[in-house]
Amino acid sequence: MSQPKEKENVVSRLYQWIKDGLGRTVYMGVQYTYPKRFVSPLGYLGVLTGIVFLLLGITGGLLMIYYQPTLSGCGSLTCAFASIERINNTVPFGWLLRNIHYTASNAMVLLAVLHMYYQYFSGRFKIKNEVLWVTGVILGIITGVEAFSGYDLLFNQRAGLAIEIGSSLANASPLVGGTLRLATFGAGFTDFVLRLYAAHVFILPMIMLILVFIHFPRYLVFDLPVISTVVGGLFLVAAIFPVAVGVGYSPSNPQLTIPEWYLTGIYALLRTEFDKFVMGGLMPALLFLMALVVPFVDTSKKLNWKDRPFFTALGITTIAQILITTAWGFYINPDTGLPTLSRLFVDPALYFSSMLGVTVLSFAFTYAFLRYLKAKERVRRAVAPMSPLLTKKWVFVIFLMLVGAQLALNFFAWTAALTNLNAMTLFDAGAILVTFGVIAHLYRYSQSLPF
Amino acid sequence: MLAAVGAVLAVVPFVPWGNFLLSSVSSSGAYKRQQAVADNITANGSAAGKAVNVNDLTTFPSNSSWLVTYPSSGDLSLDSQNPDTFLKFQLIRLPQELGGSDRAASAFVAYSKVCVHLWCSPTYDPQKSTSSQYETYQCPCHGSIYQLPTKDPATGGLVDGGKAIAGPASLQAFPTNAIPMLTLTADPNGDLYIEPPLFDVEHNGVLGYGRDFASYQNYILPVAEGKQKP
Repeated sequence: MSQPKEKENVVSRLYQWIKDGLGRTVYMGVQYTYPKRFVSPLGYLGVLTGIVFLLLGITGGLLMIYYQPTLSGCGSLTCAFASIERINNTVPFGWLLRNIHYTASNAMVLLAVLHMYYQYFSGRFKIKNEVLWVTGVILGIITGVEAFSGYDLLFNQRAGLAIEIGSSLANASPLVGGTLRLATFGAGFTDFVLRLYAAHVFILPMIMLILVFIHFPRYLVFDLPVISTVVGGLFLVAAIFPVAVGVGYSPSNPQLTIPEWYLTGIYALLRTEFDKFVMGGLMPALLFLMALVVPFVDTSKKLNWKDRPFFTALGITTIAQILITTAWGFYINPDTGLPTLSRLFVDPALYFSSMLGVTVLSFAFTYAFLRYLKAKERVRRAVAPMSPLLTKKWVFVIFLMLVGAQLALNFFAWTAALTNLNAMTLFDAGAILVTFGVIAHLYRYSQSLPF
Repeated sequence: MLAAVGAVLAVVPFVPWGNFLLSSVSSSGAYKRQQAVADNITANGSAAGKAVNVNDLTTFPSNSSWLVTYPSSGDLSLDSQNPDTFLKFQLIRLPQELGGSDRAASAFVAYSKVCVHLWCSPTYDPQKSTSSQYETYQCPCHGSIYQLPTKDPATGGLVDGGKAIAGPASLQAFPTNAIPMLTLTADPNGDLYIEPPLFDVEHNGVLGYGRDFASYQNYILPVAEGKQKP
């Protein structure tokens, strides 16, 4: 009140005009929170996934300028692969954009999975309604399809394998298999690349955007230091571990490749050589179905994972099974003397007994651990005062680990600088973003201290 | 309002909307009768770039094979460079004991280059393999083996061309266990022609999916022998 009213000029009026105009739109309907204190990023992993989605949109849109979703017209190599090589090797900053896009795609899948598991274990999904959870699961599936269609566009050996497996899975569906494959994948590789391109750059992102508006909570945490650190870390990974374009796909000269890490699970299931549709279609569908029905089954008022032993054990089981099946997917018999098919063969007896064993172990471990926790808590309440969170020894261990991580980062940066000078631009950008995030956080922390 | 929505929904299943997505397969306009021309590539040897003639047993000897493109873009060099294996077919002149030295279209078969297991490209092996009585068409990825037409002991006629006899393709459910084929005819000069294929399982098969293996003796061979119109 006592403050002097700001003098109105053209700029401030323009700003006010735009602000009023946007006030009623959907963007301003969401309340953005800029936390002054540090809140655990686990709670807003979803926002981080969204930020990475935005980054993917920007880099992907720029990559579209040079990518050619065609096969013929480029000699013995496909135009799709040749254009990726050109982006990677010739176009200025093409290498950089492609690597950010690739790393961000992996990060998005990872963040989406972490987001789901955090919501699941913390029971936070119970606070919201079921629609949010279900759209989240659908968004997760579409994220996977989006990643799959993205790496197929390269048309290198790995893409070739993914295309073949995807199409044969569609083929293997009972009754509608042939038609389904023709409708989704078209009548050959040329159709395939174009259709996947249409799906990857427009159809799927549009569906995701529509679902995101349903999935959004009313409050979005926009914590700049954390976002800056995540994006910077992503740049660092992209710079330090650049991904090769690979070898162009040639159906008559195939190489043994392994799909991306989020698909090796399905790959392992298929390699047991039981029915394709059951292994590659129904088994993963079982997991997604389970995820879909969780909020309708777990209707207790308890949020904490310690109070929901069955669902905690179930969650641990899915994590353990995904880890086991993913590890199997990476396994290829090292004996090169064997024919390809027997090298790829996953022994179903061993495989399924390991899956079953890990289920039993997870349940037993979870129940035992929860009982132990309860007993400990009872004892602590009865006799012992609360011990400090970190003892001096652990502070020292964490400090050593941080120093080790610093040394490792330096080493990786050094090797990256030796092998590829391109990496330095990206590395610097990443380092600046991470440093900004850390400094901003330290500043914020210093402001909140009581002294 | 609800009645209007109901009326529209009731009609929806009877409108073939799905044809939009299936267009690249069912548009018969794309498939025309076309002369069989070996691709101009080194793998085709002395036959590279030449039109196939059934009377020419020196350029096109029995028990050998060449790569052809169907449907052609009309430009041989473009066709030869096109990497899309869904347009490629292995034209095989059968071994002598299967009538490969006959000066007729029935001496040839044209197998798709797309394995029905996982879309790799099989190749013709002119050596007799241990798993078959005759020479075979083998896939390099997982070892699926497709047989040449075999002699039916009862009638002496050729049967079951393109059926998978070993490897993962042979384990797939009917009709996804036989490789698609083209229908071939020869004109009076002996020039070999590719008839417009019917890409469904009862006739030429669906590329990358499969074919009823009996369609060889029911449809493809009778057309090649001139007993049936394409």
